[in-house]
Amino acid sequence: MKNSIKVERAKKNITQADLAKLAKVSRQTINAMELGKYVPSTVLALRLAQIFKVEISEIFILEDSDWV
Amino acid sequence: MFILLNVRFICLIVLFVLHLIKIKLFMKLNYLFPNKYKKIGWLILIPSAIIGLITLILEFEPNSLDFNVPAIFIDELFGDKHFIGIVNNNVLNEILGILIIISSLLVAFSKEKSEDEYISKIRLESLVWAVYLNYAILLISFLFIFDLSFLWVMIFNMFTILLFFIIRFNWQISKL
Repeated sequence: MKNSIKVERAKKNITQADLAKLAKVSRQTINAMELGKYVPSTVLALRLAQIFKVEISEIFILEDSDWV
Repeated sequence: MFILLNVRFICLIVLFVLHLIKIKLFMKLNYLFPNKYKKIGWLILIPSAIIGLITLILEFEPNSLDFNVPAIFIDELFGDKHFIGIVNNNVLNEILGILIIISSLLVAFSKEKSEDEYISKIRLESLVWAVYLNYAILLISFLFIFDLSFLWVMIFNMFTILLFFIIRFNWQISKL
């Protein structure tokens, strides 16, 4: 699964720490998601979508490898 | 002196159990202690582990800590086996064992400063890893360590699951 958290963050011009505070998680969690090391829960994904004011599918993109 | 110590320990354990009940009842299904307990845990764990190791190696058993204590199952070296009675026992190892177990539980299962879902995932992974490692070592010990030497394996094995978990979890957290 790909995600565009970093892009959305750049659009809003906020740091990982700022986003972490908004999403009520640690900065490390944001970092791990941006690096593709961690797949967030549905709740956190929805929170991020609400923060960025976009649809959830605009941030998180399913890949072929997710079906294996 | 010992009675006072004993009462204190019982109080500590009662408080611990009450806390468990409290977090179960009032905080929606949370099995972790508040963050501040982590520091308390470390403060008890480090000295009691060091003292425990030293007394174990030196077989230090001060006479002042010999007491008649109630026992559920008794199997004396040159006596018979029976249920429920009083035995004379040096309580130092019991005290240290209890301190080490309670404090390592506190260290292992206190919340991080920012306990979120990613930390929870690392916590779970570390726990599985610790159980695997612990039993891998135990299996090897089964095969290659026998008789009285195996007693040492059993003594250490009482604490190693939590110890491996603490090491692995804190290592993973520090890498973030």
